[in-house]
Amino acid sequence: MPKLLIDVIDDVGNCLLFVREVMFTALTSPCSFASICEQIWTVTLQSLPTTALAGFFVGAIMTVQFTLQITTFGALGYLGGLSTSGTVREVGPLLIAFLLSGKVGAFTSAELGTMQVTEQIDAIRCLGANPIQEIILPRYLGIIISSFFLLAVGLVMSIFGGMLLGLVFSGINPEEYVRHIPTIVNKFSVANGMFKCLVFAFLLASICTYKGYSARGGAKGVGRAVVSTAVLTMVGIVVFDWLTSLITDTAMNVVLGNS
Amino acid sequence: MASAQLALNDVSIGFGDGVLLSKVNLSVMPGECVVLVGPSGKGKTVLLKLFAGLLKPTLGQVQIEDKDLNQLAPHEQKQLLLKMGMLFQKNALFDSLSVGENIAFPLREKTKLSEAEIQERVVYFLEQVGIGHARLLYPDEISGGMQKRLGIARALALKPQIVLYDDPTAGLDPITSRLIVDLILRLRAENKSTVIAVTNDMVRAYQMADRIAMVVDGEIVITGNKAQTLAHQDPRVVQFVRGQLHGPLTESQ
Repeated sequence: MPKLLIDVIDDVGNCLLFVREVMFTALTSPCSFASICEQIWTVTLQSLPTTALAGFFVGAIMTVQFTLQITTFGALGYLGGLSTSGTVREVGPLLIAFLLSGKVGAFTSAELGTMQVTEQIDAIRCLGANPIQEIILPRYLGIIISSFFLLAVGLVMSIFGGMLLGLVFSGINPEEYVRHIPTIVNKFSVANGMFKCLVFAFLLASICTYKGYSARGGAKGVGRAVVSTAVLTMVGIVVFDWLTSLITDTAMNVVLGNS
Repeated sequence: MASAQLALNDVSIGFGDGVLLSKVNLSVMPGECVVLVGPSGKGKTVLLKLFAGLLKPTLGQVQIEDKDLNQLAPHEQKQLLLKMGMLFQKNALFDSLSVGENIAFPLREKTKLSEAEIQERVVYFLEQVGIGHARLLYPDEISGGMQKRLGIARALALKPQIVLYDDPTAGLDPITSRLIVDLILRLRAENKSTVIAVTNDMVRAYQMADRIAMVVDGEIVITGNKAQTLAHQDPRVVQFVRGQLHGPLTESQ
């Protein structure tokens, strides 16, 4: 078997063992509520401006794209609903995942990697504390919980962006824009979006904390950890997007078929 | 006869394909100070990390108070390791915490002291190592000597019975080195602790050690106290102690 393949299998296996240890720690010796809140605050604050800005323009892009398509059918009244549905189901979770990957994933990986190569993690262990409980778990949960806050902010901003662009370029008044949102965006769309958001956040938190925690070899090792975090999360998000789409569509078909 | 507080029994460890230490033995009695010397990269820090439970031996036993460290359940191991404090070679200070918070960290984690008592202890330890004025600064805002003192204060925060010092005078000027060694000796006398220190500075080694041990060629050569070390016949010890350029240590490289 080629060495590269063995290394990949080895890395995936180690990552899964690491996630198992994090889960075990979460169940047996959870970290303090204050440390989780601190991480949620840090992650949310780090990504809020970019999420809001990107959310606004995603709404704007969706509006422009849908306007071109649906004007032909005379269904401009459905613009808000269609645009929001696309954002809730797909673009929102994907956008949040990519933004978090670029900002929080790289930051967390570099932070933990530096702590590892400067022996701070060994020092925590020597002082009788569990590094997984003290530094990994709060970051892990912080990333997952904040991604939902950021998703909400992104969605609100995308509706606002779409509404503004709809008003300026297509002359749709805001009331008309939001009228059909509840018709098209149903509970399945919201559940689909939240499920994707959870999966992406879980993936990102696992990769960036694992890569940082397992960094070796000084500044170069930290650099390697950050780069592989960026690459793996991007690729992972796309692959898992396909997988979750498959799962949610199948689940929806089963539920709707049975009802 | 009292039993050893720390012991290595036929311990071997290697990284990758190479063997770093092969079937080494070492016993450290309660209250004793053993200083490990030897060429760089031969396993002195690895020995300290074996005692601190940060590394596991490939073969053999690491014993602390007659218990095999690696056979204990995790919670028992943790309890045993709480008796130990370690100063890392590059200090390993928590750079996102202030000087005072670095010392407060283990106290918050492992004691049930109130916040007021923790702050009292923080001030006490910082005063002990002479950097009380730097409590609110961050580690990268203080000098190398002060960082070393902070590392020592943090290692001693839980009042450990055993203290491991990894190159406590590395990169310090001779005067600061002297101050650090005096500090280590004073704290050892006050706390009646057992000490294992790593250094390549023979002057400081003589100053600190009850016994000196040289780590070389995968083995530990116990050379004894200062006089015994100076009179030792092993050509590797002779070359290292005298700092000679030519000899078995440089020929084998």
